[in-house]
Amino acid sequence: MSAPSEDNTAAHAQLASQFFGDLLESIIVDVASECHRIARLGLDQNLEDEEEELKLSTQARVRAADPGNSGEANSKYVVDIFGQTHPPVANEVFECMNCRRSIMAGRFAPHLEKCMGKGRKASLKAMRSSTAAQNRHSRAALLGYSPYSNSNGTTRLSNGSTSIAGDELSNGTCDEP
Amino acid sequence: MQEAFEIINVKLMESGEKERLMELLRERLIECGWKDEMKSLCRAYVKKKGRNNVTLDDLIYVITPKGRASVPDSVKAELLQRIRSFLVSTSL
Repeated sequence: MSAPSEDNTAAHAQLASQFFGDLLESIIVDVASECHRIARLGLDQNLEDEEEELKLSTQARVRAADPGNSGEANSKYVVDIFGQTHPPVANEVFECMNCRRSIMAGRFAPHLEKCMGKGRKASLKAMRSSTAAQNRHSRAALLGYSPYSNSNGTTRLSNGSTSIAGDELSNGTCDEP
Repeated sequence: MQEAFEIINVKLMESGEKERLMELLRERLIECGWKDEMKSLCRAYVKKKGRNNVTLDDLIYVITPKGRASVPDSVKAELLQRIRSFLVSTSL
């Protein structure tokens, strides 16, 4: 072929751009495909949880706003020493720092349970992700024991919770008695 | 130009370079959060329409404009550089 020239470079640049666009389009289709599959198979745990959360939040808000409720609810509308009243369910909405969703303050604790992994669903969700599996295996190998012997089925290996004495690799040094 | 594209496309695939380029681009787009952004666009759309009313074409349509526009310059530059090197190497 001809020696490199300005025309060649311009042609190359255009071709390169075309190929880049081709690659990007394939990746876009892949991502859309993945999301479509997750949506149709209902694999997005969060979507169901969000709908449930929304339902429970609105229910709680209705209960909070209803003055004709039980005596317990009524007593909470008594004015405090600063002349303020507080609704029985905290209804301020803010962003969860873990999953970045909008959560009602009064429902934050139950949400955190699911979001951070106490509940069965959430810990199953965490177990399903491959990175969680890799982390479990590599940390288990480091500490020299099987991950499945851990008691209450949590997938997090918090430091200091193992019952192995002495040999724990803290900073890489070994203690000789 | 189209002919050149086709010829080089074949060379890219036969040499395995296309696969490598694809994986490189995929990796970079994950690292910079682009994929997460696209996924969250999809999830928002699915939430709005209801998960059983969403087609693949819908999602492609939803993320393509933003997807094309939000590739970081550094990522694009890296890939273009790789592609141009390949073009030079095959032209000789």
